[in-house]
Amino acid sequence: MKKFFILITLLPLLVSFAQSGAIKGKVITNENEPLIHANVIIIGTQLGAATLTDGTFEIKNVPFGEYTIEASLIGYGKNKKSILLNAKTKPITIILTEEAIQSEQIVVSAGKYEQRVQDLSVSTTVLTPDDFSQKNYLTFDEALRFVPGVQMNLEQVSIRGSNGYSKGAGARVLVAANGIPLYSGDTGDIVWELIPVADIERVEIIKGPASSLYGSTAIGGVINIITRSSVKNPVTHFSSYIGAYDKPAYDIWKWNNNTRFFYGVELTHSNSVNNLSYTFSLKKFDNMGYRQNDYAKHYLGYLKLNYDFTSHNHLLFFADFLNMNRGNFLYWKDSRNALVPKDEDNGNTVKSNRLFTGLIYHHTFSKDITAEFKSSLYHTKFDGYGVELTTSTADLFRNELLTNINLSDAFVLTSGVETSYSKISSNIFKSPNFFGFGAYAQGVLKINPDLSLTFGLRYDYMKLDTLKSANAAAPKAGLNYKLTKDFILRASLGTGFRAPTPSEVFTTAAVGGGIDVKSNPDLKAETSISFEAGTLYNYSKDLLFDLAFYRNEYKNFIEPVLTNEAKIQFINLSRARIQGVELNADWSLVPGELKLKAGYNYMWARDLDKNTAMKYRPRNSVTAQLQYSPYPFEFGIDFRYMSKVEEIDFNLTQPPIALVIDGDKRVPIYVTDLNIGYNFLLGSAPAKIYLNAKNIFNYNYVEFIGNVAPIRNYSFSFEIFF
Amino acid sequence: MKKIFAAAVVLAFLSLVAGCDKGIEPEPIKTGVTGFSGKVTFIGNWPAGITRTHIFVFKNPILSSQDFSFLNLSFVIDPIPYQSQEFVFNSVDQNYILHNFGLDFKLMPGEHSYVMVAQSKTPEISFDRKDWVIVGVYCINGDQSKPKTLTILDREITAGIDIIVDFNNPPPQPPM
Repeated sequence: MKKFFILITLLPLLVSFAQSGAIKGKVITNENEPLIHANVIIIGTQLGAATLTDGTFEIKNVPFGEYTIEASLIGYGKNKKSILLNAKTKPITIILTEEAIQSEQIVVSAGKYEQRVQDLSVSTTVLTPDDFSQKNYLTFDEALRFVPGVQMNLEQVSIRGSNGYSKGAGARVLVAANGIPLYSGDTGDIVWELIPVADIERVEIIKGPASSLYGSTAIGGVINIITRSSVKNPVTHFSSYIGAYDKPAYDIWKWNNNTRFFYGVELTHSNSVNNLSYTFSLKKFDNMGYRQNDYAKHYLGYLKLNYDFTSHNHLLFFADFLNMNRGNFLYWKDSRNALVPKDEDNGNTVKSNRLFTGLIYHHTFSKDITAEFKSSLYHTKFDGYGVELTTSTADLFRNELLTNINLSDAFVLTSGVETSYSKISSNIFKSPNFFGFGAYAQGVLKINPDLSLTFGLRYDYMKLDTLKSANAAAPKAGLNYKLTKDFILRASLGTGFRAPTPSEVFTTAAVGGGIDVKSNPDLKAETSISFEAGTLYNYSKDLLFDLAFYRNEYKNFIEPVLTNEAKIQFINLSRARIQGVELNADWSLVPGELKLKAGYNYMWARDLDKNTAMKYRPRNSVTAQLQYSPYPFEFGIDFRYMSKVEEIDFNLTQPPIALVIDGDKRVPIYVTDLNIGYNFLLGSAPAKIYLNAKNIFNYNYVEFIGNVAPIRNYSFSFEIFF
Repeated sequence: MKKIFAAAVVLAFLSLVAGCDKGIEPEPIKTGVTGFSGKVTFIGNWPAGITRTHIFVFKNPILSSQDFSFLNLSFVIDPIPYQSQEFVFNSVDQNYILHNFGLDFKLMPGEHSYVMVAQSKTPEISFDRKDWVIVGVYCINGDQSKPKTLTILDREITAGIDIIVDFNNPPPQPPM
């Protein structure tokens, strides 16, 4: 009887031990892409499985019960999920987030072929898509403000002091999409709204002259946007955001009683049919603006096609179209009306259409020889409505043939030729034509596993309309030496050049307040000699330091100045010097959860003719980004500081011109942003929501005279991949 | 946990630094006007063919023709009528740059090294030094070779800026 009683008591337990099942599921990225060969284990047991090509897994013969499943894959953070296994248990989905180690990231911009960051002879930073979605940056350039050594003056980007502010004219940083330059044919400016953020795989930032490989515009560095590779499974991405600006810090600045909103919606779909894969995207984003007459309305359309002829050759085509209609806020009325434009500028608008198309044909001849042909057309048209109509239409055609040859296991030769031609029709830049030809070669020689040398040379021929043609040769040498696997030295020495753009030579427009821009047909190309020495130090696998000293000597540096006739004109400064030190740290305080990125840049930029600081270049800048991600939550705080710039366009702020009243008001910049995110599954589709608060202390500062930067604002964003 | 605490301390520090200051502030309202006033007395006969006569104020001395430029200019008084014997002026009502070019041209407080009366025969106003003849200088003790500095105080009118133009005894001419 006693035995029978014990048997009855233990029966349910015995039955439960007897029952078992399978844990099925899928491991995907946070963008719904299946992850292959991810390791999935049941914590506390020997049971586990690896994911298949479609990201699915199955762990068989698991007794019913409660378990914690952990998925992991190299390059991604681990993720755990609790599960109660019984007869009704459904397949689970585990999301892994990419977590690349900066020094081991692969980039293609430094040498026009794939290299690890730790093998380069120049400073490099890589941004990932998460850097954009978490922070809900409204345009691409907002992300650049948090990259150490990179500075934005309104819409103009500067790497290590390469640019001041010249209304976008004459960029010294080459911004490219898949290696194809994105500057316009007339002003040479970058329109950040054109960049299809949803299709970004990574952004590679080369800090330092790259003229020896990229030519004229890369005298200050390169920002190369690499778009996503083709997908095998259909993925649809929907994202949307809405936000609003807070009240201005001072009641006197309040110019409107309505809440000023900004909002956007984007739908992107990618798929493949046989050998053809495609991505298309439509985006509508508007901003009412926190300042009067500073609204912006945009439509962005994007199409990318990739056709694999064989496994050795493929063709990529992309087209990017932007329609923009915006107010044209030039300068504040005065510091008491800081969010209101000058009376004569109020109501000025700009309408523009831009179409950027590119074609890339890649052919692999053998494992040692590859070639790429790149062709692009960038059509821009803008009409500025103000006191007078300003209009410009430009077409820029570019072609490039690039080859990469592994001459031996120790020597890679990259060479290419390119041509560019632009045709402009404008009432402010004349209607000039431009023709350019360039040929380049760069070799990377690996002397031993620890030491590699880089040599490069580029020749350019430039002809701008009726001006005398110009030639330039830009040699470069670089070194990368691994003292230990964790302590890497790098150095580079090279020359750069930049041809004046049509807008710098020929502009004859009024900039307001009776001030005109005067053309300068005598403007010469500027040249530079640059040196950088740096080190990459992996203190531990969780803590990385990058230190660089840089020095750039410029001759004939092109800057806008006010002439004795009270006209703005681009002239050549005979000598300028920019030098500095940059220190970056990347620290995983709690691997996979808590990360700190910080950077400090000391920069000394001098006009050697006048022995004064160069305009709009801060001496000190600091960035710090702290991200805490206990899945499924994310918390982030971003901080940046820039010291007060010493020199600005005082001629525009002081008598006799005094175009901008109180225009010399400027302060150090302290900006703090916060973001909170939550990852979840909507059905089986990974989704995210984010709350962002930008400039949380409502700190008022200017990046350019008479232009208060965005005041405190809040936004809510949502995205889903299905 | 210690690391999270350390990160929180860093965050709090940054917040403190950033939160203490509001950055750019509106300029307080200023009352009163800034300017100068005076009288020009003409002795002798006016030269023939003069198209314009102005009182100019320059920030720095005219040591070369380059200094006779718009960028060195502090103020210009409206034209003095041809054949005037006496001309009473004040900078508040007779701002030539504002009236002629529409620029909000303000006289800034501080020291201005050179105040003079100059004449030109060109049809349009010019900033070419050779187009102008200096006929009178605001000077020390009547010595036209010793220009007197004009000191402008914020929100005050500096009166008594009197200049004598003696066509028979012109002042030394700055470099052309």
